[in-house]
Amino acid sequence: MTPQSLLQLTSQKCTTGCPILDRLLYGGIPCDSITEIVAESGSGKTQICLQLSLHAQLPVSHGGLAASSLYLHTEFPFPFRRLHQLCLSFRSSNAHHFPVNDNPCDRIFVQSVHTADHLLEIMSKTDPFIENSKNQVPVRLIVIDSIAALFRSDFDNTPVELKRRSSLFFEISSKLKALAKRFNLAVLVTNQVVDLVGPNEGINGLRIGNLVCLHTSGRRVCPALGLAWANCVNSRLFLSRNEEVIREENEKSNGQSCDFVKKKMRKLYVVFAPHLPESSCEFEITREGVFGVER
Amino acid sequence: MEIWRLPISASQRGKLISAGYTSLSSLSSISSSSDLARELKVSESEAMNILKVASHSRGSETSNASCSIVEGAQSAWDMLHDEESLMHITTSSADLDNILGGGIHCKEVTEIGWSSLSLIVNSVLKYKLTTAFGSESIIFMLIGGVPGIGKTQLGIQIAVNVQIPNDFGGLGGKAVYIDTEGSFMVERAFQIAEACIEDMSEYNRFLRKDFQECKIKMLPQDILENIFYFRICSYTEQIALINYLDKFLSEHKDVDMSLWSQVKVIVVDSVTFHFRQDFDDMALRTRVLSGMALKLMNLAKRFSLAVVLLNQVTTKHTEASFQLALALGDSWSHTCTNRIVLYWNGNERYAYIDKSPSLRSASAAYSVTARGIRNSSSSCKRIKMM
Repeated sequence: MTPQSLLQLTSQKCTTGCPILDRLLYGGIPCDSITEIVAESGSGKTQICLQLSLHAQLPVSHGGLAASSLYLHTEFPFPFRRLHQLCLSFRSSNAHHFPVNDNPCDRIFVQSVHTADHLLEIMSKTDPFIENSKNQVPVRLIVIDSIAALFRSDFDNTPVELKRRSSLFFEISSKLKALAKRFNLAVLVTNQVVDLVGPNEGINGLRIGNLVCLHTSGRRVCPALGLAWANCVNSRLFLSRNEEVIREENEKSNGQSCDFVKKKMRKLYVVFAPHLPESSCEFEITREGVFGVER
Repeated sequence: MEIWRLPISASQRGKLISAGYTSLSSLSSISSSSDLARELKVSESEAMNILKVASHSRGSETSNASCSIVEGAQSAWDMLHDEESLMHITTSSADLDNILGGGIHCKEVTEIGWSSLSLIVNSVLKYKLTTAFGSESIIFMLIGGVPGIGKTQLGIQIAVNVQIPNDFGGLGGKAVYIDTEGSFMVERAFQIAEACIEDMSEYNRFLRKDFQECKIKMLPQDILENIFYFRICSYTEQIALINYLDKFLSEHKDVDMSLWSQVKVIVVDSVTFHFRQDFDDMALRTRVLSGMALKLMNLAKRFSLAVVLLNQVTTKHTEASFQLALALGDSWSHTCTNRIVLYWNGNERYAYIDKSPSLRSASAAYSVTARGIRNSSSSCKRIKMM
């Protein structure tokens, strides 16, 4: 056993594909670390995951990892159409990096996962899979979308079951971290939220990270899977989605009539991360992907 | 010395005493083991063993005639003296240091004024504590808190601050950082190291007029180089590493001070992580953990270094309600001489001394800034008024 030299140890990042988001994240999603995105459905978790697995293929000089990715999805169906759509715009804007007949989708390995045990089984197979893929484009990114779906039905709300559940969290997390360290992988995991109801907040109301509480769509929420899972990830990001009513003056008519336009306001927050300060950034989802908005 | 102190079996002791041998000197008259064997009705080899033990104890008794029962015992007075001469590692937050038993030590610092210097190194912190092990004061502390409260930040800060040179009231030591969770980020350590050096040069400018002369020669790279970083991926690795540390520390000793190691702090971030899976046998887990704690404590004592363990918090199910508790159970918490809990209070981070043999229970606010752990901004003003 010899200590690693910190001078040679550089934390590589994988670009998200948007310079504004990258600036917020100090370059992107870090390797040898687990990053979690928490959000309610429809906030853009999967969009970021898809975009990241495309941008991981960019050469290192352009912020990517020059690598293929492994995409484990637990929610069905897998959004192939959207991936294809993103792929087209990704290719057209990065055409010079890829040969003409090349399809970036070929370097995203998609695997469905049904239960927590199934995930563990897949992870034990991942080791030889990555080892063997080394001579082609190596796998340097694992996406699990979402981890919560695996755990939200199979377990009862009794102390014994909860204990079994958290033991599984730690097993999954330590296997992921071991993989991440061995192959210097970036790991991105998504998680759902649960609503907080009533004045009695209990243990779910416990403050974790920079934000006193998380709000999305006007409700107060907290990340699923509790405190035990929060201990299993290195960084946590939160996406909120709120509808903002903007009064838009209608200039075509005589300037007196007003239209009320609903606009989606999406925001990304750093909840906790060993290398990031408390910060947040607005973003929007377009046909071409997820992009930060500077104000 | 009486017979009952001899390290022999109870039945042998009983036989000796019933045969009339109550003191060591009474045994000294016996010339051969066979005589003793006959008298006690034990086998000859057993008798031989008793005599061997007896003569050995006699030997140590005479060589140590001046004192007491245990070899190397020290009076409480001497221990206090030792303790006061101990060096301390700053946390970079004066408030935090304060509750850790130091108070503001350096007159220079207070005279210059707090605004710029409350952050500084010398705002001394001593967490000193004696343990039941005796002669040496060692530092053994457990820090727990929810994710995102700043445990890792504090860990990195300590690993950096331990390297502050003696001239600046630091220890000028090195650090061993054991990372079990993968949360140590080099870029963050670099940032904190940079800020630490900046603070030192600012301090220097205040203290000595001739700035040119005493420019800080340290670079952030040097600080990073002096952190021995181990990344651990399973609990077996963790145990193996802690067993190996003894050898590692012996190999990294100072040349001129044979007893003192260059490494002055061991940070384990976190002790908990790998022990929260795969353990169905809780009794086994407890044994393994206490064994590990004991080894760390021995290291702390042998090499005069501080051990800082970071722990996670978990929910405890009692009487149909959930409460927060440090992970790994109570018996583990007993092992640690000092326990500090980090928690949120409103919008501020607080540290609370939960258990300590020598420190008052107290709490202090701190904040995590781009430059590392610092006083929280509101309490900074408070200190300024003092």
